[in-house]
Amino acid sequence: MKKNIGTLPLSTTLAISGVAILALAAGFWMTFAAPSAEAAGDPIVVIVNASNPVDSLSLAELKKLFLSDRSRWDTGKAVAPVMLAPGAPERVSFLKTVCGMNDAELGKYFMQAAFTGKSATPPKEVGSSSAVKSFVASSPGAIGFVKALDFHGDGSEGGIKALKIDGTAAGDAGYKLKM
Amino acid sequence: MKHAFVLPALTLFAGMGLAACLMSPPSSYAQSAEAASSAQPDSNQQLLQRINDLEAKVKQLEQKQSVPPAPIAVAPAPEAPAPVEMPTVNEVAPRLKLAIFGDVGAQGYNGSDTSFFFGSFDMFMTARLSNKVSVLGEVLFLPDITDNSIGVDIERLLLRYRHNDYFMASVGRYNTWVGYYNTAFNKGEFLETSTDRPFIYAFDDFGGVLPMQDLGVSITGKIPSGKLGLNYVVEAGNGRAWGTNVEPAQNRQDGNTSKSINGGLFMRPDKFSGLQLGFSARHDNLTIPGPAVHETIVTAHAVFINSKYEILNEAVLDRHTLPIGPAFNTTGFYSQFSRAFRAYRPYFRYEYFNAPSNDPVYAYANQNDYAPANFSGFVGRLNGPSVGIRYDFNDHAALKFQYDRFSLRDLPSENGLTSQIAFTF
Repeated sequence: MKKNIGTLPLSTTLAISGVAILALAAGFWMTFAAPSAEAAGDPIVVIVNASNPVDSLSLAELKKLFLSDRSRWDTGKAVAPVMLAPGAPERVSFLKTVCGMNDAELGKYFMQAAFTGKSATPPKEVGSSSAVKSFVASSPGAIGFVKALDFHGDGSEGGIKALKIDGTAAGDAGYKLKM
Repeated sequence: MKHAFVLPALTLFAGMGLAACLMSPPSSYAQSAEAASSAQPDSNQQLLQRINDLEAKVKQLEQKQSVPPAPIAVAPAPEAPAPVEMPTVNEVAPRLKLAIFGDVGAQGYNGSDTSFFFGSFDMFMTARLSNKVSVLGEVLFLPDITDNSIGVDIERLLLRYRHNDYFMASVGRYNTWVGYYNTAFNKGEFLETSTDRPFIYAFDDFGGVLPMQDLGVSITGKIPSGKLGLNYVVEAGNGRAWGTNVEPAQNRQDGNTSKSINGGLFMRPDKFSGLQLGFSARHDNLTIPGPAVHETIVTAHAVFINSKYEILNEAVLDRHTLPIGPAFNTTGFYSQFSRAFRAYRPYFRYEYFNAPSNDPVYAYANQNDYAPANFSGFVGRLNGPSVGIRYDFNDHAALKFQYDRFSLRDLPSENGLTSQIAFTF
């Protein structure tokens, strides 16, 4: 049977072509524009629950909190570190800069800590930046980190606040915690 | 970087595929449009009827909604969820975590038969009973070098109470804080860089000099010291028993009333991440035939560990004194250096150990299973280098090769080669 080709109205054809062009444009944008959003050098923002009176931490203090070397804040709340699952770029950069470790070394650290009898609890792992922010917002003692693009910083994200690291805020010159 | 490229590329191809699908000639649509044209009037009537029905239903719903709903009691907001504890080891039950360590290998020394060996099978368990109370147990299966049998040893059993970072008390059988190595690396050779521990830290139940386990109370914690990072350790236990075929740790009954007392301090300064400096001092009254012997053990260590380097240095003095007469000093030290090159970690260790042959306590010692074939017990001098390389297959298994060369007082030197596969699961 001969196929009936070309009976679609011109307007419909143009509309479908428009969608196709948009799809191509989206693919192009995701290919070339999206990577720049996670370019190396973007700040990593350390966040805590908004009720936490701490406004600034040193890198050494940050390391103690995430390696379970310090279990309570000055307020008495239990420290509850949270981070993205292994492989996330911000996690890789954070572990390298703050703890001097990679994922495997972090795992071995906590295994050895348990084996030697230390009371060390590894950070909770979640699957997305929004889950990190959600956990920090809901747990008074929580501390986490997200890349700057995932933190609005305009007060629209209730329950969390950003900390200064070694006295500098994310985006300031000299800020050490970057991807 | 590969993922960063592949994902957008796939997205691009997906976008192109979608565009191609959308732009393909819609022939089937055109055919069905022709066929449907004959039945158009009936369909229109049905659709109009359907629209009327739906409008009537919408009106009904709007009328219902205009009536204010009865107030609903608002439940109090749930408390913020408690932080979930992530297991460092396998969680086999809601409370119980289990990790198993093991090692096998082959070893050959001049003067002894080359053998394959089963090193140890170590079952390590922890459980949290409450926010502040936990238990720790370790069951160890080890071969006996004298008859090749495999014995079972409760290596550790501890009930722990952690009040805060400044006070944690443990009761039960513990690894003594005599030096750094004994608590940093117990059994579980996977965690050690080398194939075995330095000779000075040989396990006491296999003839080692120092008391590696004890029964009693151990208290540890931080000392408020800012960036200095000071920590303390205080231990009080039954002490060590001496005698042929005697279990060193006095698990049920102490041989005397006096208790061993051990105290230690160490610092981890913020400014030098990975550095630990510390010392310990322990006193015990030993019960052996004849007059009581006072034992004082002093250790000092300087350790630096990061992801690339491991530098371990320790020195030990074990002093036995009689009520009347001379003191007998056993001394030892080791230095170990290693550097990681990706999965490979070559290492070097030099160790020295010297025990006086006339020390009255060592006459009641068990044969030291860690000693080279020509080394009788641990009386005498042993010193020499070990070189080796560790290769980590993955995060759970490692292969090690180690060559030892020990000089022994009044005996021929020992050369030995050990290969070991250590793993955890």
